[in-house]
Amino acid sequence: MLSLSPSPSPSPPRSPALSVESDDDHSDDEDDHLTFYVTGSSPTPIPSRSSSSSIHAHHNDESREVFFGQDLQDQQLQGEHDLSPTQGTGLSTYHSELATSPITSVFSGPSSYMRSLMSDQPPLARGGGYWRPRPASSKRSSNSSFNPSVNKDAIHEPLSPTHMSPAQLYTTASGQLFHAGKICIVIAGLPARGKTHLAVSLTRYLRWLGVKTHAFHLGDYRRQFIPPNMEVPDDYFMIDASASTVMLRQRVMAACKVDLYRFFDSENGQVAVYDAVNPTAAGRRVLVKELNQHGIQVLFIESICDRPEIIEANVRSVKISSPDYAGWNENEAVEDYLTRISLKVPLYESMDMHEHEFSYIKLYNAGERILLNNTRVGYLPNRIVFYLMNLHIKKGSVYFARAGRSTERRPKYKSDPHLNEEGTTYSKVLADTLIEYRKKEHEARIGDGELEPNAEPRELIVWTSTRRRTIETASEFEKRGVRCRQRPQLSQMHPGLTDGLGTEEIERLYPDEVAEHVKDPYRHRFPRAESYHDLAVRMEPVILEMERISSDILIIAHVSVLRVLYGYLMACLPFEIPALEFERNEIVEIIPSAYNNQVKRIVLPGIPPNSSVIM
Amino acid sequence: MGGYSFHADNLQICVVMVGLPARGKSLIAQKIVRYLKWLSVNAKCFNVGNYRRIETAHPTADFFDVTNSEGERLRRVAAEAAIADMLRWFDEEQGTVGILDATNTTRARRTWVEGICRQHDIETLFVESWCDDEDLIMQNIIDVKTTSPDYVGQDPEQSALDFRNRIRNYEKVYETIDDNDLTYVKLVNVGSQVIINRIQSYLESRIVYYLMNLHIKPRCIWLSRHGESQFNVEGKIGGDANLSPRGREYARQLPQLTRQSVGDRPLTVWTSTLKRTQQTAKYLPYRQLTWKALDELDAGQCDGLTYEEIEMKYPEDFHARDENKYEYRYPGGESYRDVVTRLEPIIMELERQENIMIVTHQAVLRCIYAYFMNVPQDRSPWMEVPLHTLIKLEPKAYGTEVTRIKADIPAVSTYREKGSSSLKK
Repeated sequence: MLSLSPSPSPSPPRSPALSVESDDDHSDDEDDHLTFYVTGSSPTPIPSRSSSSSIHAHHNDESREVFFGQDLQDQQLQGEHDLSPTQGTGLSTYHSELATSPITSVFSGPSSYMRSLMSDQPPLARGGGYWRPRPASSKRSSNSSFNPSVNKDAIHEPLSPTHMSPAQLYTTASGQLFHAGKICIVIAGLPARGKTHLAVSLTRYLRWLGVKTHAFHLGDYRRQFIPPNMEVPDDYFMIDASASTVMLRQRVMAACKVDLYRFFDSENGQVAVYDAVNPTAAGRRVLVKELNQHGIQVLFIESICDRPEIIEANVRSVKISSPDYAGWNENEAVEDYLTRISLKVPLYESMDMHEHEFSYIKLYNAGERILLNNTRVGYLPNRIVFYLMNLHIKKGSVYFARAGRSTERRPKYKSDPHLNEEGTTYSKVLADTLIEYRKKEHEARIGDGELEPNAEPRELIVWTSTRRRTIETASEFEKRGVRCRQRPQLSQMHPGLTDGLGTEEIERLYPDEVAEHVKDPYRHRFPRAESYHDLAVRMEPVILEMERISSDILIIAHVSVLRVLYGYLMACLPFEIPALEFERNEIVEIIPSAYNNQVKRIVLPGIPPNSSVIM
Repeated sequence: MGGYSFHADNLQICVVMVGLPARGKSLIAQKIVRYLKWLSVNAKCFNVGNYRRIETAHPTADFFDVTNSEGERLRRVAAEAAIADMLRWFDEEQGTVGILDATNTTRARRTWVEGICRQHDIETLFVESWCDDEDLIMQNIIDVKTTSPDYVGQDPEQSALDFRNRIRNYEKVYETIDDNDLTYVKLVNVGSQVIINRIQSYLESRIVYYLMNLHIKPRCIWLSRHGESQFNVEGKIGGDANLSPRGREYARQLPQLTRQSVGDRPLTVWTSTLKRTQQTAKYLPYRQLTWKALDELDAGQCDGLTYEEIEMKYPEDFHARDENKYEYRYPGGESYRDVVTRLEPIIMELERQENIMIVTHQAVLRCIYAYFMNVPQDRSPWMEVPLHTLIKLEPKAYGTEVTRIKADIPAVSTYREKGSSSLKK
């Protein structure tokens, strides 16, 4: 049994070079005085995100209206992760070879995972910069939006060995949570059963909970061995492949395993999600044996689907966008892919009583039915199932907007003020803009043929906290017939004794606390205040409900709450979350997708980013 | 005031228990009701057996024989009466989750119940407890059933035998749930396998998650307030004060007091982030966890004041709080309802864990105690929980047993009666 240390133990100080930038003018950031901006580079090796930013619009005023944070490379990665080489008897052959051959020799080139860990450059935060003090002028211009790097869903980025997660409840001596074990979640299922979506979503949720998790998609490794400009051997996905193709498949798998074991052995990883087809009972048994020999426990999650319409929708939305099908007619591509899958169907063996001693979760038709076997009252399996019950292949967007300005220049937490005139104007512009935007988007979808001409628009619901400013901001939606719900979990971060104080006063009154805060702005609590971490823990029910709801959700809340929710959806690292910025003149939209989520911004006309309304 | 709700507007759910007798159905039903009511979800259990007993107080096994048509008729009448009452409750009292506690072991019976609910726009969630482990079944019969009202005043051994025969009659017609259009959760042999089908709402997922975290291993929970603090001595509320000398004495005696009650059972101690609970727990030789969620109710603008000062400065607030202490939210602070919301993960984790000791604060302790002891919301904020007292809770099948162990260290009273601003002597 592990000994658990009191929680939450702050992560080690990041740098002696960090300094607080005091902020002269608070009027624009009146309710955000707990954010101190730090300079200097990160001393912990934070792997840089992929530098490919080909479709990142830049931060000039013209291009900010529609802002996609998605990376081209990732779009390509949405290809067929599923058509992995683990078919037939390949798996067991592979394992016997693995035992005798030096693993590293089959590793022909560094994976993106490895590259990011091996980087010899001084590590930078995403997007190539670390937190900088905000120039005073930035508040007047719209250049002060997000650090561009956090516009990218980081769910595929590796974690540093000392990583602490947004909602991590406590740490243990070994740096792992809840129980002594290392766990490999092995995904099983035929292609186009939503395995990758499952692997990515679980990784997001488990990282959030504080379990150090990384997903290893076998399909990504195949693409490294066979780059887009090279032909995949014709028989790569065939059962009776040629000897050279079988060898290629085994090299792909070995490379994936190298990274997987490195994650456990050298990077303090706790849960690896191994995303591959894993089609045979014999192969799975060999895999369990091998992982157990490494001291790793196995939890299987099998995705089963017997509804052709779900499979076809999956193929259409994810698979045929793969480079393999560039230039194909859509219907022919779907047909071809379905034929390729059908070759595997007769070989595939579902998990049943012959594997009853294993811990497994079977997921039927994207969560319609869930079966748990041999997982009794385990924290992790229970958490996963709770999550899976609410997980859908989410279609609805999540919009984030700030509450309007209030009657107090620097609103005190304890006074819970009402909206002022400017705030009321804001709430009207917000409602009008979003409703109009959604109408146009819906029409565009019909225009593109994505929706039937008579399709109903997706429903919108609004969540607020129980604080007056958020409720009053939402009232304009209520007047327009949109359902609004108050949720106490969405209340802003409690400022404790710093309530109503400006940055300078805080620095003067609590110099030691400020020094601590700069070291760990995510976990540090000012006296009697909440930390971002506390906020993340209390918002977990909201996050699960957000995953379940199929309609679009607008969340109107304090910036501290928006930061944490955005951090979940975009897999931000804890040190990034406190520095996220949300302008007052825009709605941030998160568009969900299987491999990674995307960000878009909607500008509110007539509302300057951070000052008075010009109407 | 923003009420706390899990559920979308107008959602009503009927949880239909399914399973042979002695499968722990009533226990599960009661726990669901307690959990939901504690979270302010309007929930109520309708036990068909209680309706049947009105007509047939002490039936023999023959009554339950499927070939006994009179018995069959009476049981159907009882089920109809229970459902009629439940529908009335959904309608007149805006119920959210009604629990129909009966065997419901045939497909025909379940179709009938589901049909009635559908007519009334009520979602059904079937909860089946399936068990073929004879040892578990007999243990449940001996623990619970022979003390059932059906067997009052009868010989326990005879009762157990009769009960086993009653179950045989049900077994003849038992059909497990396999209709995949229904929303259901099936718990096989106390959770060694679980099947979850077509969960329709977040509230249903919450109920299922709760059921998955329940276990039947014997265990205890110990609760203690922090030792007397400097603020307690001065009659102030909230704050983050140090312990008083007498409070420190309680901290020193707590390990011995704990050991007398806990023995050598393994134990984990949970504290809040405030100094007074950590100082209280600091000599306890067990592993410790700190939870922000265990911090005291936030009194907002009234933090650090005495009750007299609050009455003087905020007379209206003071009386509003007495009117409805559960819902009253301190200006810029929290209500009891808010505290319950943030304690929910604590309760979930407590259900999953075994022996736990919690060192926390008056309001938080009242909320946790209210969960285990089923104390209604109009009473829970007024419960007297003295300082320097260790409370032992032992959850049993039909309720929780409480033992209070007083340390022999005097402390001020922090109990304020309704309508008064002075603390009880």
